[in-house]
Amino acid sequence: MLINVSGINSHTVLWYASRATGVVSLLLLTAVMLLGLLVTRQGRLPGLPRFAVTGLHRNLSLLSVAFVAVHVVSAVADGYVKIPLTAAVIPLASSYERLWLGLGAVSLDLMLAAAVTSLLRRHLSRRVWRAVHLTAYLSWPVAWVHSVFAGSDLRHGPLFLLAIACAVVVLGATAWRVVAASGDVPRAERVGLLMTAVHARDKSRNRERTLAK
Amino acid sequence: MEGTADAVTELPRLLPPRDGKQGDGKPDRPSDGGRSHDFRSHALRYGMLTYRDRPGDLIGEAEAAGLTGRGGAAFPVHRKLRAVLDAAGKRRRTPVVIANGAESEPASDKDATLLWLSPHLVLDGLQLAAEAVGADTAILYVHANRAHDVGGRLIEAIAQRQAARVDRVPVQLATAPARFLSGQETALLNHLSGGPVTPTFTPPRITERGLNNAPTLVQNVETLAHLALIARKGPRWFRSVGTAEEPGSMLATIRRTDGQPRISEVPLGIPLKDLTGDLRQDGAVLIGGYHGTWITGAQALELTLDNDSLARAEARVGAGIVIVLPADRCGVVETARAVRYLALESAGQCGPCLNGLPRIAAALAEIAGGRARPQAVGDVERWAGLVSGRGACHHPDGTVRFVRSALRTFATEVDWHKRGRCSAANTRPFLPVPQDTARSENDWI
Repeated sequence: MLINVSGINSHTVLWYASRATGVVSLLLLTAVMLLGLLVTRQGRLPGLPRFAVTGLHRNLSLLSVAFVAVHVVSAVADGYVKIPLTAAVIPLASSYERLWLGLGAVSLDLMLAAAVTSLLRRHLSRRVWRAVHLTAYLSWPVAWVHSVFAGSDLRHGPLFLLAIACAVVVLGATAWRVVAASGDVPRAERVGLLMTAVHARDKSRNRERTLAK
Repeated sequence: MEGTADAVTELPRLLPPRDGKQGDGKPDRPSDGGRSHDFRSHALRYGMLTYRDRPGDLIGEAEAAGLTGRGGAAFPVHRKLRAVLDAAGKRRRTPVVIANGAESEPASDKDATLLWLSPHLVLDGLQLAAEAVGADTAILYVHANRAHDVGGRLIEAIAQRQAARVDRVPVQLATAPARFLSGQETALLNHLSGGPVTPTFTPPRITERGLNNAPTLVQNVETLAHLALIARKGPRWFRSVGTAEEPGSMLATIRRTDGQPRISEVPLGIPLKDLTGDLRQDGAVLIGGYHGTWITGAQALELTLDNDSLARAEARVGAGIVIVLPADRCGVVETARAVRYLALESAGQCGPCLNGLPRIAAALAEIAGGRARPQAVGDVERWAGLVSGRGACHHPDGTVRFVRSALRTFATEVDWHKRGRCSAANTRPFLPVPQDTARSENDWI
């Protein structure tokens, strides 16, 4: 790209800002995704209590919304390529990179829906909130495809490796979550199984005591 | 109508009178009750249902009468009614009224008896409650498989009322799964919404957002029957029995040493010794069922059946269950069996309950079986402290109250067990404990 040659100046600052915040947004959203997967399994991070994992998930997601906002606004405000503001939320509204920017809009819409429903969670039923929140599994891959194909930054060099790494960890974490959930004991059977286990343990302990005597 | 009305100022008020046996303090046991669910005989005995024709009017009367919930919590009825009415006005949603007849406490039989003998009082109360809060949906929620076919009788009763055109709000009949938690308010709503009968965290309170998010009133069936009589005879009549703080009468399930349940309508504040029959100082009485409290015979001889008096023994009236432990049975063994049942009836949702109750039950079984580890009693006490107040519902709290009262009341017996002895001469189980525990999710739906 021509712009790469000329470096950062008053004409290109928005363009660079947009690209940089785009990359940071992808990293943040990856972190949010991983933390979300951890939260669904009531997982812990070393040195953090469980509620702090949830808190981190929430705060990072708000931070990523801020970065995405800068990413979108700077891309629209920059005059080098014409992107209408509507293209930020309406898919296929931009003539520049129509498909890839469209995917960005789709991802942004889903992300905003998840953020808004979470902020209004007190006023919503759990079912509605969860249904919207589940679209994160769609939103993140769409955002990834947008990141890699809308610009050329993530297709070469270290950033390419970074994009691949993001995809691998999210896929891996999702697989871990699915496998872990499949091992769950159904709610109705939990108590009975635990009860049997506790009784069996006590029986064997009693037997040991009798034998010891 | 006045003449017949006066005839019901004596107890029993809610159940059909038995042949001249009231007033002598003897609990009576209704048998089949013939056709007491016949609407005509009900109307003859109590008079027709008197609607107030304005939502909210009955609330003042319930307050003046001092009526409290008879499901166990003794929450003032007028406050619940008011909360639902206010929420309905604020949120512009038409409320739902539910009569809770899911008497899950295995030791209780009073709601099933009331529904069997006086279904129309309950249905009258349901209509009045619906009118008081302006509800357009009324649900009668009862256990499906009790000894009698209550459901079939209720269907007949509802049909008779339809024919007589007394009901302004149509009544739907819903059946409760045979789980201990079936009657818990949030579990009940979860079940009526098509889910398993498992409790959920509050808030939101169900008076604000209950069934389908509508403000929801859930009242025990006996409470509604009292409400139906207050509407006819007024608050002063209601207060003519009971204590000043806890007025009125209540249905009690009484099991004396023969183990047979007797359903008796008693005034609040009645001396416990009038209910228990012969009672030894060193005996034990269970008040309030498996979420209730064991008290010693000496305490029972002094206390009366009201929360004010029972508080001195850390007990509560609850749903009016009074069980006298026979001298030849061991309280520790009986408690251990009941606690095992309670642990198995945990919904398995909240960690403290899911992990705590089975361990408590196992340790109690160990103590009951003799030759327990020396620290078993200490373990139970420690775990009891860890689980109470930490569930979505009060299942762990109630269970722990029961366990702690047993350790207190049967302290001597626990010492015997530590030395591998047991005072029981009779090993046949005494407390009624259902054997069919839930095995899969279907048992919760």
